Amino acid sequence: MGRQVAIASAGFSEHASKRSDVSMPELAQEAIEDCLKKVPSVEFDDINAYVNGNMPAFEGSNLPELWMTDWMGARNKPLMRVTTGGTTGGSVAIAGYYTVTAELPGIDTVLAVAFEQQSQGDTSVGLASVAYGEISILNNLGIPYDQLNRLLSAGAAIGVAAYQATTYMNKCRITEEDLARVVVQNRRNAAKTWWAHLKMPNLTIEDVLDTPYVQYPLRYGMVCPASDGCCAMLFTTEEKAKDMCDIPVYVNGVASVANETAVLGYDGGGSAQVDPSVQLGAMKSAELAYGQAGISFPRKEIDYAEVYAPFPNQELMWVEKLGLFEETTAPEMYETGVTARDGELPVNCSGGVNSTNAIGASAMERPATAALQIMGKASNQVPKTVHTAIGSGWGGSLNFITLLAMSDEPRRRFT
Amino acid sequence: MSKQTQRKSLDYVKKQYKRTRTMPASWYLSSYNYKYNITHFQPFLEKLKEKKLIANQCSSCNRVFYPPRFVCGKCLVKPDRWVDIRETASVATYVIAYLKDEEGNVQEKPMVLVNHDGADTCSIAMLEPGVDVKDTYIKMPIKAHWKEETEGGLMDIEYYDVMEDDAEDLE
Repeated sequence: MGRQVAIASAGFSEHASKRSDVSMPELAQEAIEDCLKKVPSVEFDDINAYVNGNMPAFEGSNLPELWMTDWMGARNKPLMRVTTGGTTGGSVAIAGYYTVTAELPGIDTVLAVAFEQQSQGDTSVGLASVAYGEISILNNLGIPYDQLNRLLSAGAAIGVAAYQATTYMNKCRITEEDLARVVVQNRRNAAKTWWAHLKMPNLTIEDVLDTPYVQYPLRYGMVCPASDGCCAMLFTTEEKAKDMCDIPVYVNGVASVANETAVLGYDGGGSAQVDPSVQLGAMKSAELAYGQAGISFPRKEIDYAEVYAPFPNQELMWVEKLGLFEETTAPEMYETGVTARDGELPVNCSGGVNSTNAIGASAMERPATAALQIMGKASNQVPKTVHTAIGSGWGGSLNFITLLAMSDEPRRRFT
Repeated sequence: MSKQTQRKSLDYVKKQYKRTRTMPASWYLSSYNYKYNITHFQPFLEKLKEKKLIANQCSSCNRVFYPPRFVCGKCLVKPDRWVDIRETASVATYVIAYLKDEEGNVQEKPMVLVNHDGADTCSIAMLEPGVDVKDTYIKMPIKAHWKEETEGGLMDIEYYDVMEDDAEDLE
C-alpha cells in the first residue's frame, strides 16, 4: 500500500438555486478560499497538484477546468479533470487520494475541487447526453418516444429512483410517512448549516405529505433541489498534515465499485437487477473500504455517516447496505432518533443531498462534511466526539458507488 | 385545479443575490451516431414475428437474459444458448407516472418492470390501459398481450394483461 494520506481542510461555497452573483470560476474560488482559511499556514505555492471535476455538459461549457485555472492557482501545475456523472465528487476526492498516495516526486499536497453551476447550463441537455444512447436504441427497436418518456419520467434520476423506492417500501413494509420523516430531519439539519440550499427550520411531516406526487411513491417535497455550489478538499501527507492543522483526518479506506445497471439494460437487453434496491455494489464498496481501514464492526466503530441520498428512500437504503444498521431496521432508527444530531449514530447532519444538490460537488461534500465533523469544525457539529466517519457517493443508473472511510488515527500498519 | 397538477412549493430561507452580467447563448447537441451491435437481437426479433418468446442464456452462470444481451456482465462470456420462455410474467417493480396528455389532463398510469417466468432479468413495459392504478402490486401475475399484426419489434407486445392471482396467503 502507498503512503498514508490525510485531509488537512475542506471548504464550501454558499449554495443556492441560482448563484447569479458569481461566475463559475468565482464560485470555485469561494470554496477554495473557505478551504484555505482553515489552514492559515498554506499558500498557493504549497499546493503541488490539482484535481478538478464536475458533471459533464450540465454547466453548458466545455473544459471548465482550463477556464478556472487561474482562479484555482493552478498555473504551471499538474491538473486533471475527473467526471463520473453523479459520483463525480467522490471520484474527484478519490483521485486526490491516489495522487498523494502514489508518492510522485515533488507532489505532496493536492487540492481537489468539485463544482456545479446548474443555473448556467441546461440540465436536460446534459441528461440527454447521458441517457440518449440507451433511449435511442430502445426507440430503434420499436418503442415510441412518448412511451419511453413516461416509463423513465423524461430520463431524470427520479425516473429510476422511484422504482427503487417501491421495492424498498415493499420490503420494509413502510409508508410515505417514514420517507417524509427522513426529509424533515435532513431539511431541519440544513437550516443550521451555513452553506446549505433548502433551509426549512419549521418543516413538518404533514407539510411534506401535502405536496403532489412527482412519480409515485416520491412526492414533490421529498425530491432534492438543483443547486449551484462548489466544494474543495486539501489532501496531503501525514507529516505535512500535522503541521497544517490541529486534528488531521486520515483517509484509511477508499472504494469505487460499479455494478450492473438497474432499470435500463445494455443496448436494449434486460437488466439483471430484478430488485433495484439490493445494491450489491454498495455492499462490495463497504467491504473494500472497511477492509482497508480495518473496520470490523461498522455498527460499533463508525460514529458519523454522510450518505449520498437525493431521495429519502435511498438514505434508508444506503445506511443498511453500508453496514450501519441491520436490513429493514433503518426506518425504525429514524423514528426513535438514533440518527438525529444528538443520537448514537448521527446521519447527514449537513442536510445531505436531499437539501443541497450541486450534482458534481454533492458526492464530495459528503466526505468533506464527515472530515470536518472529525476535526470539530463542521457547521452543524454533533455534540459527541467523532473518531471514525464515512462519506459515500452514488451515481449512474443505480449502480456506481464511491466510499471514503476516515478516522482521526492513521491506518494500522502490519510490518 | 386538481391536487395532482398544483405545484405547491415548500417555504425555505431564501437569500437574494446581486445579478452579475449574463450572456445568453445556445449550445446545440442534437445529432448523434450511436453504434450498437444487433446481431444477438436478430433471432429474437424474428421469433417475435411468430408470437414466440426466446431469450439467450449465459453458458457460464446460466442466467437467462430477456431481451437478449450481447455479453454477460458477470462472466464476460457471450450468451450463446437460446431458450424458450413463457408469455406469463410478474411485476418486478412499479411506479405511477403523472404526465399530461394532449388535452392537458393529468393521467395516472402504472409503469412496470416485468420479470418473465423463466428469465432472470427485467425489462420496461406497460400494463393494460384500463387497469386501476391502486391495484398494482409487486409480484402481480401478468401475461403478454400481442399486437394483431406483428412486425418484429419490441412493441409487438403492446401491453401486459392482468391475470387472476391464485396465490393463497400462508397460514
